[in-house]
Amino acid sequence: MKFARPTRKEHPETIIPLIDVVFFLLIFFMLIGRMDATAPFDVTPAIAMTGTDMPGGGTTVSISATGQIALDGAELDTSGLLETLRDTLTKTPAILIRINAHKDAELRFVLPLVAQIETLGARDIELVVTPATP
Amino acid sequence: MQLKHANPPQRLISLVSMIDVLLIMLVFFMVTSTYLNLDMIPMAQSSDEVTSTAPTTEPKTVMIRLGGDGQTYLQGRPTQLSQLAQTLQSRDPNTNILILPSARASTQSLVTLMDTLTTSGITSLRIVQLEASP
Repeated sequence: MKFARPTRKEHPETIIPLIDVVFFLLIFFMLIGRMDATAPFDVTPAIAMTGTDMPGGGTTVSISATGQIALDGAELDTSGLLETLRDTLTKTPAILIRINAHKDAELRFVLPLVAQIETLGARDIELVVTPATP
Repeated sequence: MQLKHANPPQRLISLVSMIDVLLIMLVFFMVTSTYLNLDMIPMAQSSDEVTSTAPTTEPKTVMIRLGGDGQTYLQGRPTQLSQLAQTLQSRDPNTNILILPSARASTQSLVTLMDTLTTSGITSLRIVQLEASP
């Protein structure tokens, strides 16, 4: 006499772990990524071995190899930049100002601008660099 | 006689559309994000942040000139960066270094010089500029 084996019920594959993983990835990318306005021109920072980690926040002044200037992604002339920074420093005197200068930018475009920003009362000016690979 | 209304079956909210939106957001963040590894070098700091250690003897001041072609000059003589590092390592670390860069020098050459000086143990570093008299 043959006994028929009971057929096993197939469990439907649950998609809940997939949702968990997608959620995890989404939160990871949202937390790790820092939204920052990019300059309207090419800026490749100089390479340095002795740089320190850059904190978030603050405002970024970009300087191209040919001396073009941008503040937080918007291209400006020197007077416009200084005027905007003066307003910003009046509201937030301790704001971090990052100078993101192209590595080939001549210092005549960089140093006088930094000196002018300093005279506006900026307390914390940092030069953006790319860490050298060992 | 009271007739009971049959309870309508509760509809389940489908999660499929939410998963679709999550996936779209995930792909958006993954595609649009560019991850930059950047460091910074201080250019100007408020005086209260600068920690000064009282030197036992009056520190000496050395001026290094940076030419437009990136050549460094110590006491008027062209000096390679490796030579400069060796010379400065034998000096007192409290030695004040003044860098006089040419307006035509590139940002990279200044950063490389500052890197060399910092790795040689120099802690006091200033950049000076010559201004045309009015």
